Amino acid sequence: MTPIAGSVAMNLAFGFSILTVLTLILYTRNGDQRLFLTGQRLALGISFFVFLATFILAYQLIQSNFDIDYVARYTSIETPFVYKITALWAGQSGSLLFWLFILSIYATIVILQNQGKHNSLMPWVIITLAIIQMFFLVLTNYVTNPFKPTDADFIVANGNGLNPLLQNVTMAIHPPTLYLGYVGFSVPFGFAISAMINRDTSPLWIQSIRRWALVAWLFLSIGIILGGWWAYRELGWGGYWAWDPVENASFMPWLTATAFVHSIIIQEKKDMLRVWNMVLIIITFTLCIFGTFLTRSGVMSSVHSFTGSSLGPIFLTFVFLIMIVSFGMMYFRRNVLKSPRKMESFTSRESGFLFNNMVFVVMCFAVFWGTLFPVFSEAVRGTKITVGPPFFNQINIPIGLILLALTGIGPLLAWRKTGKKSLIRNFTFPIITGLIVSIILLLIGFRGAVVMSFSLGAFVTATIVTEFARGIRARQKKLNESIVMSLVRMVSKNRSRYGGYVVHLGIVLMFVGFTGHAFDEEKEFSLKVGESDHVAGYNFELIKLSEAERPNHYAWISDLRVTKIDGEFVTNLHPEKRIYFHKNPDPNRRQPHSELDIHNTLNKDIYSIFSGVDSENGVAFIKIMINPLVEWVWLGGYILIFGTMIALWPRKDQ
Amino acid sequence: MMDFIRDYGLILILFILPVIFVIQPLFLPMIAKKNIQVDVTSLKRKKLLIYRQIKELEMEFDIGNINEQDFSSGRADLKREVSEVIAQLNSL
Repeated sequence: MTPIAGSVAMNLAFGFSILTVLTLILYTRNGDQRLFLTGQRLALGISFFVFLATFILAYQLIQSNFDIDYVARYTSIETPFVYKITALWAGQSGSLLFWLFILSIYATIVILQNQGKHNSLMPWVIITLAIIQMFFLVLTNYVTNPFKPTDADFIVANGNGLNPLLQNVTMAIHPPTLYLGYVGFSVPFGFAISAMINRDTSPLWIQSIRRWALVAWLFLSIGIILGGWWAYRELGWGGYWAWDPVENASFMPWLTATAFVHSIIIQEKKDMLRVWNMVLIIITFTLCIFGTFLTRSGVMSSVHSFTGSSLGPIFLTFVFLIMIVSFGMMYFRRNVLKSPRKMESFTSRESGFLFNNMVFVVMCFAVFWGTLFPVFSEAVRGTKITVGPPFFNQINIPIGLILLALTGIGPLLAWRKTGKKSLIRNFTFPIITGLIVSIILLLIGFRGAVVMSFSLGAFVTATIVTEFARGIRARQKKLNESIVMSLVRMVSKNRSRYGGYVVHLGIVLMFVGFTGHAFDEEKEFSLKVGESDHVAGYNFELIKLSEAERPNHYAWISDLRVTKIDGEFVTNLHPEKRIYFHKNPDPNRRQPHSELDIHNTLNKDIYSIFSGVDSENGVAFIKIMINPLVEWVWLGGYILIFGTMIALWPRKDQ
Repeated sequence: MMDFIRDYGLILILFILPVIFVIQPLFLPMIAKKNIQVDVTSLKRKKLLIYRQIKELEMEFDIGNINEQDFSSGRADLKREVSEVIAQLNSL
């Protein structure tokens, strides 16, 4: 009964989504509150049925009901419990249902949170969210149904099992966080559309979505960082970012969303950049849908594209519809989108934010162009030309450095206009700090982007320190508080401002980590037990090579003793070579996998990969990579999360 | 028989009750649309927003990010705006 109940629930959700839209449109015409109440309840009904369908699918995965095609494809009896649950987003139809599930959580919160508030905005917000739900319900009901029965005319005793790359704790968290980010932008998008329909583009709609935008941005950031962490620890190529199309698919909305969360500050405080904010949220939401399209359509080859399908045209049609409707609406509402105030000076914080927006959009366009170049080249010339990391690095490193510089410059500019005296006073200490760092680095022998990155990092850090110091000093002077009390109260009373500075500090640390990539070293060698080889001042001796049979794989485990060249012991590393589904009689179905082992320090990572084994002769093929400063990327990520949490923490009056 | 009751009881709870919940407001007597032109919540939010802007302006001045002339004119503008909002709220 239950799989059928899942299908029925999804069909009912689809029916409810149509009724929600119709009922609320009728309400906006005749104003009968009963229709609004019914529309709201219908929208809650969509969410209820989506929750029901999702829980039913999760239950079938846990129960290993291989009568359902999705369960048989992505789990097996041997799949550990936690990965049976994560299989919910491992395949196409499941992940689309999961997208819908998260959207339904958000929609429910928005409806419940705004009971009796935003009377004019809410009907169109709910309609917009219901239309997005409707789109995903069309996909999950009629294109790729997760409850489709297995095609086989025999009883399926066991399933395929989950891709070994996905059997990782980080991978259990990475997709949900990324989806929480992607889907989260539906809410600000809904408010933006509603504000335009209601001809009310004043800062009030911005105030309603500021926290939503920050929450979505936070989840998207965490999702991207976790993706990098997973790639670094699981894929075995020694890096965390490869400019892979699916990585780019999450990075593009992050760029425009970052511009948006900055730009809305200007509209909230100065009622400026109305058009910019509309454009940014429309592009961000469109890119979120486009990102899902890139991941799920199979149009791009990627290590992340775990499925290929015919969803492409449907997604593209939806993306074009969103753009046509949204930008069309902007055109028809161009009069109310004119900001009542104008920029007064180039050296103002407002112009700093505007420039920030431009740079983010340019970077997004560069990534978009590079990502889709294979598709464009194939369409125009008939040959697929792929642009790799060199293209992206060449374009994005300078833009990234400009953004890093803006991170420092923006807070030093005053609203409306920064006078000459203020400019000199505000910039002196940070510029001197950056110059000192660059001179030291040049004297040591570093050149180019490395010097720029570290110097700008020092400049931004000095800016942040200056901002905190000036704020504390002002409070001490006015209120006679201790330093600690001033700091606590100052941050507590200005959470978004100082939380933002902490985020900037996190970004600086991440740039330190990115710059470390310039000093990577690697070597590949084969070792028998007792033999050793060396890389970058470290000696690697194979102490032991053992084998083990585990529930879902067979493993060869190496024991590498790592010492410095002078003999000082560093660590023992145990990279493994695994064969998943090793009991499968068809050798083609067995999946080899290298389980890495990494010795992490703030200074450098020693990254070991067991790339192959000659079990007859007892030879292990090992690859070692020395990756400096990678830990700073993750450390920066933690600080970024911490800063965003400060900015998000509710005030007493909220 | 028990299976039948269990299965169809579940259907009743999971599918029929939500439908009743959804259509119930349609059986209520006609409720007039709220005057959306006068949204008290929005006005209160606007007032709060301006108060925050005044606080922030004071902080910018204390830190030294803006000069006295800009501070005075900015503060006067914000005070005028908040007075208008308060007047609108009082007139409701």
